[in-house]
Amino acid sequence: MIHNFIMHVICPFVGTVAFAVLFNVPKRFYLCCGCTGAAGWLMYHMVMIYGGSAATASFCGTLVVVLLSRILTVVMKCPITIFLVSGIIPLVPGAGIYYTVFYMVNNELAEAARRGMESAKVAFAIVLAIVFVVSLPRKYFQPLYWMERKERKIRKG
Amino acid sequence: MKIRQITRNKDEYMDLLLMADPQEDMIERYLDKSDLYVLVNGGDVCSVCVVEPLKNRKCELKNIATRTEDRGKGYAKYMLRYICERYSATCDVMYVGTGNYKEIIRFYERCGFIHSHIVANFFSENYREPIYEDGVRLTDMIYLKKQLDSSVDVKKVVDLALEAGRILLKNGAEIFRVDETITRICNSFHVEYVDTFILSHAIFVSAENGVEEAYTKVKQIPLSASHLGIVAEVNELSREIAGGFVSIEEAKERLRRIDQMPAKRSYFQVLAAGMGSGSFGYLLGATALESVIAFGIGCILYVWVLTAKKYNISKMLVNIIGGVIITVLALAALHLPFAAPVKIDGMIIGGIMPLVPGLAFVNAIRDIADSDFLSGTVRMIDALLVFVYIAVGVGFALSVYNNMGGGLML
Repeated sequence: MIHNFIMHVICPFVGTVAFAVLFNVPKRFYLCCGCTGAAGWLMYHMVMIYGGSAATASFCGTLVVVLLSRILTVVMKCPITIFLVSGIIPLVPGAGIYYTVFYMVNNELAEAARRGMESAKVAFAIVLAIVFVVSLPRKYFQPLYWMERKERKIRKG
Repeated sequence: MKIRQITRNKDEYMDLLLMADPQEDMIERYLDKSDLYVLVNGGDVCSVCVVEPLKNRKCELKNIATRTEDRGKGYAKYMLRYICERYSATCDVMYVGTGNYKEIIRFYERCGFIHSHIVANFFSENYREPIYEDGVRLTDMIYLKKQLDSSVDVKKVVDLALEAGRILLKNGAEIFRVDETITRICNSFHVEYVDTFILSHAIFVSAENGVEEAYTKVKQIPLSASHLGIVAEVNELSREIAGGFVSIEEAKERLRRIDQMPAKRSYFQVLAAGMGSGSFGYLLGATALESVIAFGIGCILYVWVLTAKKYNISKMLVNIIGGVIITVLALAALHLPFAAPVKIDGMIIGGIMPLVPGLAFVNAIRDIADSDFLSGTVRMIDALLVFVYIAVGVGFALSVYNNMGGGLML
């Protein structure tokens, strides 16, 4: 249990914050960046546990990251890039690249192609998820919109 | 410090208004048809100001006053500047009438007002109580005026907007943010017609305010390292400009300071790269020992990246040699006598992470999602090439090692 917690919460959190540092993100955003990264990874991990493919898991993880980033942008009043870039790092298929190269060097071309295609699929899933959430209109992420909507409903009812 | 326009219950500020104009019925005569502004600092109302719009693009400053304890802090000047900028869109001339107080007239002159005309016997006819200044009874109202449109200079505004855009683009902002910031800055300084064309490494702006000729400027911006802190700061500044709280000169000065914001200290960056490598190595299946080694690899790798940045070594070499360094170090760790046997996979995967072009990748996707295909493709190719460079570096080192006969141990 503790091992799982360290593995799937602390690790992505620390890693994401480390990358936030590399991107020169201001200090006050570290916590939010870390949470975004950890949340994205948790989602990815959950889907993997329940038997999803790497691409599906990346898609779901990215969805969480982008949604959280958009909400945090409104709350903290800063560019979305800050959370998005740091949060997505755990999901980037770094391992995929390595295995592709590894098998290619060892002349196992079929395996290399399989790994390469899988990385490409993961990358494409990330792209899809980002495009999907980014295209949602801005107003859905502003608290004012939901408050007004609630008021309108109350007035109608 | 914030300036608000008050539309309801204007009488609440009567105490402050009476400081500049001692008779209440005179104030009530203009208060209803005028615009009232208050300057709030830390929850307290420090200054008030009343402007009455007149016919033919003219307006009159009726009243401006600051609390006794807050005088001499420049609040009135700040307020006046805000008002001038705000009314320059709808008015050409602003008038202000005052008694013959030397200090007050000097204050207005410092703010750019010049003498206009005198209304004889204004005070003696309209005020019940005689007003004395230095023992002399005030009788005439002295009017001063200021040309408002002279403060808008298209060239200056576009230069400022372009500088903001350059800093944003250089430090890794998306195309639409650059576009939005440039347009927002131009509009808030009353340059109404702005057209921008932004690529991943160049900005074209053409602007006019309907009076002068169009002004066009092009700026080339080389790709370089990103700094999201600067993007956040410029974003904040552009919000403030849009709110009308910053003058052109002030904005220029702040941009200059933002541009010089240093990156995080290098040892801090090196440690962060190590932490990133270590924790992602662990996350992607390395053992605790391997992640500690990955930490070391990440640190050494980033020392190389920072050195390369200092000497302006090309991106291609940085990443290929980076890949080689990671692999060589991981292979070396394989042969060192550790307490437990280590595998190479986790260490290399962890080590690669600091090189992964996350920012370029995400920006490329977002540009494409915003239909900025040109910049999106350029950035995407940039990101993909970095992946390829890393792969080449790692692959090269691995195959050399294999051919040396150490492949059996892999």
